[in-house]
Amino acid sequence: MNRLPTGMYLPGDSPIHRLDPRVKLLGLFISVTAIILVRPLIGYGVILAFLAFTVALSGLSIKIALNSVQRLSWFFLVIFMMNTFFYSPENAWFSWWIFTPSSAGLMQGVDVVLRVVFALVASNVITSSTAPMEITNALEALISPFKLVGIPAEQIAMILSIAIQFIPTFSEETEMIRKAQTARGARFDSKKLTEKAAAVLPLVVPIFLSAFKRADELSIAMEARGYRSASGRTRKKFAPLKVDDYFALLIVIAICILQILIR
Amino acid sequence: MKEMSVVKKSIITAVCLALCVVLPQAFHAIPNAGSVYLPMHIPVLLCGLICGWPFGLLCGLAGPALSTLFTGMPPVAVLPVMIIELAVYGLVSGLIMSLIRTRKTYVDLYISLIIAMVTGRIVAGLARAFIFARGATTMATWAASYFVTSLPGIIIQLVLIPTIVFALMNARLIPRRYPKSA
Repeated sequence: MNRLPTGMYLPGDSPIHRLDPRVKLLGLFISVTAIILVRPLIGYGVILAFLAFTVALSGLSIKIALNSVQRLSWFFLVIFMMNTFFYSPENAWFSWWIFTPSSAGLMQGVDVVLRVVFALVASNVITSSTAPMEITNALEALISPFKLVGIPAEQIAMILSIAIQFIPTFSEETEMIRKAQTARGARFDSKKLTEKAAAVLPLVVPIFLSAFKRADELSIAMEARGYRSASGRTRKKFAPLKVDDYFALLIVIAICILQILIR
Repeated sequence: MKEMSVVKKSIITAVCLALCVVLPQAFHAIPNAGSVYLPMHIPVLLCGLICGWPFGLLCGLAGPALSTLFTGMPPVAVLPVMIIELAVYGLVSGLIMSLIRTRKTYVDLYISLIIAMVTGRIVAGLARAFIFARGATTMATWAASYFVTSLPGIIIQLVLIPTIVFALMNARLIPRRYPKSA
C-alpha cells in the first residue's frame, strides 16, 4: 500500500482522457466481455495489440498500467501453479501424490493469468484517465433507464460516488492503523502465514469504527445542509457524443465481435 | 438514539462499499487470503444487518464489481458468482434481521448471520452448478470451496461481525436495537 493507489486518477490531456466518460465506462464493459470471450492465440494477439494501443494513446506509463498486476503477483503464481499441477491427469508429464502437471494445465494457467492481467490493464487505464466524479456521472447516466422500473438510480449513483471517493481515504487510514499496530508489535512482515493473519485481523475493527465515524459525520453534515434525497437534485448534463467517442466505441465493439467470430 | 435516516443508511452503504475494495487489499499480503479469510463478505453482511435488505443487496451487487474495477480482485471469471453470493448475503441478512425480534441483539445477529451465510453459499453453489460451471460442480467441490477452504473466514465472520456491531452501538455510531434492555 506504500505505492501509488490502484486506479488513482492521473490528470492529462490524451485522447483517452478526452473521451466521454460514458463511452469509457461502456467501452470497459465491452472490452472485458471481449477478454472473457478470447479463445485462440490470435484472439490474445488482438487484445494485446488493442491494450498496447490504448495504453500508448492514454499517455500512461507501462508501470502505471501494470500497477495492480505487480500487487497480485502472489495470486497469479498460485493460480498458475494450481492449474499446472491439478488441471488434468490426462497426458500428465508425470504423476506424484496428488500432483499431475500437464501441458493442458500449463496452458490453462497461462490462459487464466493472461485474462486477469488484460482485464486489470483495461480497468487501470480507465480509472487512471477518468476523474472519480466523471465515473459517477457516467454511471448515473448509464443506469438512468432503470428509473423506469422504479429503481432509484440517483440514490444508487450518489452511494457509488461517495464510495469511490472514500476508497483512497480508507486506504490511507488502513495504512495508518497498520503502522500503529506495527508499533504495538504486530508482525505484518513475518514469513509465517499464521503470524501474518494474526496481525491483519486486529486491523478490521478499528477500520470499521473509523469508517463509520466518517459516515456519521458526513450524514450529519449532509442533513444539516438540507439534503434529503438524491432525486430532484441538479446534476451535470453531458454534452452529446463526439465523432471520437463514436469511433472509440465502434473499435471496442468491433474487437468484441471479432472475438466472437474467431472463437 | 432515534432510527437511522435514509441519508445515513445511504452513507453507511457507501462506506461499506468502499471497504469492499479496501479491506481485501489489507489481506493481500497473505497468499490466497480472499478465498480463505473472505474479507469482502464482512462489509456486505454488516451493511445488510445495519441498514436493511435494500442497502445490503446494493452493497452485495456493487461491492465485488467496484473491487474488480479498482483492484482487479475478484477476477472477472469468478465475479458473477461472487456478485450473486454477496447479493444474497446482503439481502437475506437484512431481511431476517427485520423479521426476527427475540429481544436479544446478539441472538438476532447470529440467527440473521448464519441464515444469510448458509443461504448465500447454497445459492452460489446452485448458480455454479446450473449456470456458470455446469457439469464441473459436485457436492464435494461445493462443500470444499464454500465450507472447508473458507472455514477460517467463516469463524472470523461469526466472531468479528457481532463484535463490530456492538462496538458501533457502544460508540453511538448506530442506534441500539433494543434501547431499554441495553
